[in-house]
Amino acid sequence: MASVSVEAVRKRYGALEVIHGIDIQIPDGEFVVLVGPSGCGKSTLLRMIAGLEEISGGVIRIGDKVVNEVPSKDRDIAMVFQNYALYPHMTVRENMGFSLKLRKAERGVIAERVKKASQILGLDPYLERYPKQLSGGQRQRVAMGRAIVRNPQVFLFDEPLSNLDAKLRVQMRTEIKALHQQLKTTSIYVTHDQIEAMTMADRIVVMHDGIVEQIGSPLELYERPNNLFVAGFIGSPAINLIKGTLRRDGGRNWVATEAGIDLPLNGNASGQDGQPVVYGIRPEHLVPADNGGLPVTVSVVEPTGASTFVYADLSGAQICGVFAEHPGVNPGSRMTMMPRLDRVHLFDAGSGQRLAG
Amino acid sequence: MSPRKAFDEARLMLVGLLILIWTLIPIYHLFVMSITPQAEAFAGAVWPKTPTLDNYTTVLTQGHYFLGHFWLQLFNSAMVAVAVAVLTLVIGTCASFAISRLRVRIGETVSNLALLTYLIPAAFLAIPMYATMGQYGLLGSRWSLILTMVTFASPYAIWMLRQYADKLPYELDEAARIDGASPIQIFWLIYLPLMMPSMVAIGTYALLLAWNEYLYAFLLLSSDTEITLAVALGHFLSTDDAPWNLLMATGIIYALPPAAIYYAFRRYMVAGLTAGAVKS
Ligand SMILES: Nc1ncnc2c1ncn2[C@@H]1O[C@H](COP(=O)(O)OP(=O)(O)OP(=O)(O)O)[C@@H](O)[C@H]1O
Ligand SMILES: [Mg+2]
Repeated sequence: MASVSVEAVRKRYGALEVIHGIDIQIPDGEFVVLVGPSGCGKSTLLRMIAGLEEISGGVIRIGDKVVNEVPSKDRDIAMVFQNYALYPHMTVRENMGFSLKLRKAERGVIAERVKKASQILGLDPYLERYPKQLSGGQRQRVAMGRAIVRNPQVFLFDEPLSNLDAKLRVQMRTEIKALHQQLKTTSIYVTHDQIEAMTMADRIVVMHDGIVEQIGSPLELYERPNNLFVAGFIGSPAINLIKGTLRRDGGRNWVATEAGIDLPLNGNASGQDGQPVVYGIRPEHLVPADNGGLPVTVSVVEPTGASTFVYADLSGAQICGVFAEHPGVNPGSRMTMMPRLDRVHLFDAGSGQRLAG
Repeated sequence: MSPRKAFDEARLMLVGLLILIWTLIPIYHLFVMSITPQAEAFAGAVWPKTPTLDNYTTVLTQGHYFLGHFWLQLFNSAMVAVAVAVLTLVIGTCASFAISRLRVRIGETVSNLALLTYLIPAAFLAIPMYATMGQYGLLGSRWSLILTMVTFASPYAIWMLRQYADKLPYELDEAARIDGASPIQIFWLIYLPLMMPSMVAIGTYALLLAWNEYLYAFLLLSSDTEITLAVALGHFLSTDDAPWNLLMATGIIYALPPAAIYYAFRRYMVAGLTAGAVKS
């Protein structure tokens, strides 16, 4: 096992730069998830760590060793691909043993390691099958098996679950997490699904257009997003973001929207009177209120059983509230939602950065 | 099925049937002539009065002036065809591997140039090819024909194999690289096994191309012991009273191996012609 360190790494394709200097320190044994919208450079970064793409600038270290010029096969990493990349002409057993065979491991050692991996992953009944005779979930497991037989320093995953159906995805994500707890191998996992990121990661790296927006534990990102992008990306349903102007008057702070609604704020909010801001409140931090709060007109009610999503119109702005108890409203009804003041996020409208406090 | 659709289908069937008959008539004549005794050769009957296999016996026992080296010439044809197929496959797989998997820089250019060679009809190159073989002292040797046919088959082989190779997911190579495979190991352990179906198709193509070649075989080979059967068949026509029925019997025998090969590999051939032979 080893730490991985990415220092000021850049990637250019010809004149086009797609990664603009990224720094990430990953301690030994950590499970890090790279998350971000499509095209933000997650795969490119992962592939640079894997040695499948050249590094245009900066340094990547695995352990203490700079690997910029080290070929993939000597980096002691294993990778799980989105389409699994199983060798179609080899059985599950041969697929899993291939890397050891190339490394001239002894037959007995290969057999033993494959057996151990197949037991961990529940692949014993399928060892003699070919990939095309397996279901998607089983193929996914074989791809994992191929990675773990080698006992590498680092696991790299590039959207390994995105070809599975929703139910299997949830199951596999738990399995991968459990596997990591068992093996404790440093892992870097790419996904564009923020739920996957939140549930699996020790730490999340949120990427956007070739830069890192924020690095932190799932809770840190959820509770203190550094900027509008992270706030909007993390959390489901997405955070409500409402534009307005910060008002301070004596000890009282609030945000005035263009439509003339006053959004309540804590007494200790920072920022200057008159500053254009974006007011952020997560749907689950709105509570139905009898008086005070935000007057809204309900447009859609979605009971999910565990909670109820209420989509509503706040003088032209669409907002969403998630309530544990069904608030007993119908489309067209009017209600008031009260933000929990300690959960309000305030961002500068110009820079999108979080306002301290 | 609606009447309209049935009508369309019937029309297509009719066209297909006509084409089939049109194609089969010469083959039918070939066959009928080959079982007709010499005496009846030009009776023009739809079916001979006394069908016989004597012509075949004569051919197989080399019992005629024109057939003195029948077996050797058949062997020459086979040897040339097999050599052409093997060499073409070696060149085609190596080139397609370099272009599609190693992604060498000039790969795209090579691949396009390969196709460009087909703008010049092969017949136009006869004289230059003859001169070249002369310079290397290969005229009259079977190797001159082999090298020529490889030259003509390779561009197509490179182009086609490259198309198939591009269909193999590149992640397989990347996975193998991470697993510790060198390019040579990727070639032998991943690429060749997965390319096998398309290689069968392209190999068969090259084999049949060489087997059926007449022009270049006639041009480059001369002695009775070096020529292929196709050229020997041509020699029949050098006299006025050509033994037609023997010619036809030899022709049938000559056509059997390609038919057998085609039949054996038809699955790959169809896949080869329609592309997409390789499943990821
Ligand atoms: N070979 C290439 N040549 C030029 N640009 C490329 C190349 N490969 C990737 N890119 C660009 O680099 C950017 C990052 O691509 P990358 O595949 O890393 O995105 P991603 O974050 O993995 O997206 P996704 O979630 O869709 O997989 C994209 O804008 C893409 O267009
Ligand atoms: Mg990607």
